[in-house]
Amino acid sequence: MLKDNLGLTLCILIALASIGFALFSGDPYYVQVVIWVFTNAVLAVTLRFVLLIGELNIATAAFFGIGAYTTAVASTIMDWTFFASLLAAPVIAGIISALFGWITLRTKGPYFLLISFAFTEIVRLFYTKTEALGGNSGMIGMFPPMALNDYFPAIAVTILAAILFGLYAAERSNLGRVFKAIQNNEDIPRSVGLNVIGLKILCFVIASATVGLAGGVHAYTNSVIAPADFTYFVAVLALAYVKIGGEGHIAGPIIGATILTLAGQFLHSFGPYENIFYGAIIIGALLLVPGGIVGLGARFKTGKFMGRAER
Amino acid sequence: MEALSNKNKGKVLLRAEGLERKFGGLTAVADFSFELREGEILGLIGPNGAGKSTTFNLISGFMPPTSGSLSFLDQNITSKNATHISRMGLIRTFQHESLLSEMSVADNIIIATTHRLKSQAARLEKMQETAKLTGLEDHLEVMAGSLPHGLQRMLSIAIALAAEPKVLCLDEPLTGLQGAEVGAALDLFEMIRSELGITILLVEHNMRAVMRICDRILVLNHGRLLAAGTPEEVSQNQLVIEAYLGHKK
Ligand SMILES: Nc1ncnc2c1ncn2[C@@H]1O[C@H](COP(=O)(O)OP(=O)(O)O)[C@@H](O)[C@H]1O
Ligand SMILES: [Mg+2]
Repeated sequence: MLKDNLGLTLCILIALASIGFALFSGDPYYVQVVIWVFTNAVLAVTLRFVLLIGELNIATAAFFGIGAYTTAVASTIMDWTFFASLLAAPVIAGIISALFGWITLRTKGPYFLLISFAFTEIVRLFYTKTEALGGNSGMIGMFPPMALNDYFPAIAVTILAAILFGLYAAERSNLGRVFKAIQNNEDIPRSVGLNVIGLKILCFVIASATVGLAGGVHAYTNSVIAPADFTYFVAVLALAYVKIGGEGHIAGPIIGATILTLAGQFLHSFGPYENIFYGAIIIGALLLVPGGIVGLGARFKTGKFMGRAER
Repeated sequence: MEALSNKNKGKVLLRAEGLERKFGGLTAVADFSFELREGEILGLIGPNGAGKSTTFNLISGFMPPTSGSLSFLDQNITSKNATHISRMGLIRTFQHESLLSEMSVADNIIIATTHRLKSQAARLEKMQETAKLTGLEDHLEVMAGSLPHGLQRMLSIAIALAAEPKVLCLDEPLTGLQGAEVGAALDLFEMIRSELGITILLVEHNMRAVMRICDRILVLNHGRLLAAGTPEEVSQNQLVIEAYLGHKK
């Protein structure tokens, strides 16, 4: 594992540099890309957060969408203020995820994966069938208030960076240790008085509420959202970021999201073949660099290039 | 069946009545009643498959009994879950996979302190104290899965101790220990009982160890209580001798 101080310093430096860049670059395209990088980093980091308890959570994509739609409804239909509409996203995503988690987190592994997949697709179908939400074409017209317009990129990046830092802090706290214990062998924490189901739900709600907030930011960044933006494939991409960057440390998904999002800017020209590229990346990373880039760094440090990579 | 010995007058901490657990057509535990009294070391023995670990799963709330009742500290815990029962102070270890193999020794023990102790400093202090007690203080940063076998057994006891049990249920804690390690572990159990005041329910295959350390012994066979009494009484019981001759490993 990377030295934690190094990972932390790296996160902060990247965040600061990008916030500065987003603020002062005049080119809206670069500003967009920086926000995309951060959004994808949050998607990957929240996916990994639930991996701490050992579950692959496809519903990351669903809660990203629920956050985006919540903010869109609050902003365009209910005329809530900018910050209130953003805040509604994690609240609603948190409430729905608490219910969903309470029902489903008694299952594990492939069962949970399939349920979270089905949930994601059902929520997406719900958008397409609901006229009030714009059906297939989605919702438009989420704009930050005029007075904040120039600062919006900086606000967006600050919120997303705060999410990353918050999840990093949560993982480093005793809570993170308990989550890892649940992944390792949940009978042990259960046998010493910990409420394992409750803690699993907590982990899931933290990840879902934060990715919901990122969804709210996304709604304002894009000004347009549609059901097609929130398919299970969002989670597959997030998994690609995690796998290429490495899941042993929170820096992994951030590095993975950065590299693949930047690479993605060039791959758009491949059209539908772009997705094949991401699929190939997941498989290639699993086979060739099981610990991801972070894992490579750690193995380089210890001079050990062979053998099982850390999970 | 009532205990044959009257030597232990301690108050009853745990009482099982007519405990039964079926798995499909198989009855793993049947009509099993016993009492665990404050301050004693109670042995639970029997051939492989007799239902000892299942009994642990039932009393610790990891599995509900199919019938019968359980009470702990005068509360009915029959349908309570493992979190509830461990919070009341009944802590069990596991025969297999009894630790967090991918976490450090220190983290393994800290996890066990987190429910009771809320400050990080108190947790660290408890962790160090428990590690010292179990001879793990020089291995705190080692990954639990790569500890030598004997120390892994000690760690699973350390995890249970760090949770501050009133009743400690140990599932074959001596398996795979070498000569001197067995003696040290038995000394530790004695110390846990006499100095920490913790009552112990011990499942163990090592007969000499059980005979040496237990105040009373329950013998299970095919899920049923075959005999109960002091080590001398049990070791002279004809039924017990037959059950063991039939299954001797
Ligand atoms: N979860 C389970 N599912 C089905 N059968 C089980 C389960 N646990 C234990 N058994 C069966 O119950 C019987 C008692 O097992 P166990 O309590 O582990 O015995 P012991 O610990 O005395 O060796 C065995 O026949 C075993 O196969
Ligand atoms: Mg057993």
